[in-house]
Amino acid sequence: MTLAGVVQPAPASLPRWRSRGFAPALPVLAFLLLCFALPVIVLLLRSVLEPHFGLQNYTALLATSTYANVLENTFLIAGLVTVITTLAGLPLAWFVAVAPGWLGRLTFGVVILSMWTNLLARTYAWMVLLQDNGPINNFLIWTGLIQTPRPLYGSMAGVVIGMVYIMLPFMVISLRGPLAALDPAMFQAASLCGASRLQAFTRVFLPLLLPGLAAGALIIFVMSLGYYITPSLLGGAQDMMLAELIAQQVQTLLNWGLAGAAAFVLLVLTLALYTVQARYLAPHGRNRG
Amino acid sequence: MLLDFSQLGSWRWVLCTLASIAMVFLLAPLLLLVALSFDASQWLQFPPPGWTLQWYQEVFADPDWLSSFLTSVELGAAVTLASVLLGLLGGFALARGSFPGRELLRGFFLTPMIMPSIVLGIALYAAFLRLHLAGSFLGFVLAHLVLALPFSITAITSALEQTDKSLEDAAMLCGASLWEARIRVILPAIRHGIFTAAVFSFLTSWDEVVVAIFMASPTLQTLPLRMLGELRQNLSPDIAVVSTLLVLGTVILMGIAALFNKDSKR
Repeated sequence: MTLAGVVQPAPASLPRWRSRGFAPALPVLAFLLLCFALPVIVLLLRSVLEPHFGLQNYTALLATSTYANVLENTFLIAGLVTVITTLAGLPLAWFVAVAPGWLGRLTFGVVILSMWTNLLARTYAWMVLLQDNGPINNFLIWTGLIQTPRPLYGSMAGVVIGMVYIMLPFMVISLRGPLAALDPAMFQAASLCGASRLQAFTRVFLPLLLPGLAAGALIIFVMSLGYYITPSLLGGAQDMMLAELIAQQVQTLLNWGLAGAAAFVLLVLTLALYTVQARYLAPHGRNRG
Repeated sequence: MLLDFSQLGSWRWVLCTLASIAMVFLLAPLLLLVALSFDASQWLQFPPPGWTLQWYQEVFADPDWLSSFLTSVELGAAVTLASVLLGLLGGFALARGSFPGRELLRGFFLTPMIMPSIVLGIALYAAFLRLHLAGSFLGFVLAHLVLALPFSITAITSALEQTDKSLEDAAMLCGASLWEARIRVILPAIRHGIFTAAVFSFLTSWDEVVVAIFMASPTLQTLPLRMLGELRQNLSPDIAVVSTLLVLGTVILMGIAALFNKDSKR
């Protein structure tokens, strides 16, 4: 029971043109305008103002083959990471959802543990695992699958493996809600209608999970586009991604114009994809998980 | 049929196999970290030739690791305090205010969450260079506050939205002023939301490294930055020790969170 009816007359019928309660937002708004919006806008402006007014930084970004390669790498790596994470995340999330009590909880606990472990600690583990004489190469040679070590550390394969490791928990978490929302009666109905497991999987299970899969994949793709630490530690110079390019332009070349242009590209992609996600893939708004 | 483990039939084995592979993939690196921290070989041989506590002694004896740890704690504490205070203000405005553009404001308050860290890092670096805040503790706090604030605002706003507004009205009828009512009646009622906001704010700062790269100075190094520096130079066993301690910290935190959840369900 609430006290609302007793304390004040219901204001619903009266249109309220007067603003109430905006004042507390002011300090927060001021802080975010000064320490967030303004610096970002200034950075983006520098992309068309430095070294002189014009679009020269954007043409350089798209026309120079080194920079075009970086853009290509960024999309390729983010795409590969998204596909592999989605394919690996679905069975894992499914297992977490259906495995009996403690087994499901334990599996989910491991997922959360890996997600909450410091990013650098996880990347360090992969730096060791992927070495030429590291455990993975040794294991593959021992099984006889390869004769000489594969260069994993400092290659695109290394970057993709390390990033899949970081993104996998996000996929499991985004599929938790959609999996819990599946109605067992649907599958009883499918079974009564004579559907085999494969038919139930492809015609009921997957279509119902598709929005969740798409939402998770999109978030992982967007996060991967802007990733910096893992690709810079696990990849070689030829696997540079957009975020590394931005850091390099600022730290070693002091080319703020080009850094601003690259930042603008990254920002537009990120905001556009998040808008798609918010508009089409998240019917429950913030209640994602 | 597909949602009942016992009725999965032959699919059960496929699912179990795939899930086991994924589990090994998730667990192996964490276990490797622990093993490496006790590895007697300097060159990270696996399996190790012997076991030692030498690297732990080295890390604990090294004043640099301790000072970067303390910097991270201080920074996290300052960010948490500011983030909860601003989060409360923002939360009250979003949950209790009614003004045009409120949803727009909510969207703006949450934008830093989706901002690629590298963009925020260099944007703030350029701004702080001009304001002479680059490499200062205050600059570092402000930068991490931008990242932490959306989590704090989300947690506090949703806690406020779940609290009956008439509690506030009742307190005011009994003679309290608006903010007296909010502080003495509403704050205790949303303490879980405030706790969540504090934890997320602290962890955001504690784990953050990309923006930190651009906020640091040689004398102002957080723990993740120190680790990054070591990783770029050499793969010393020190990192395995620090990583293991961080994994241990995560396990302890998860244990506490699990207990907390059990308590609140009762």
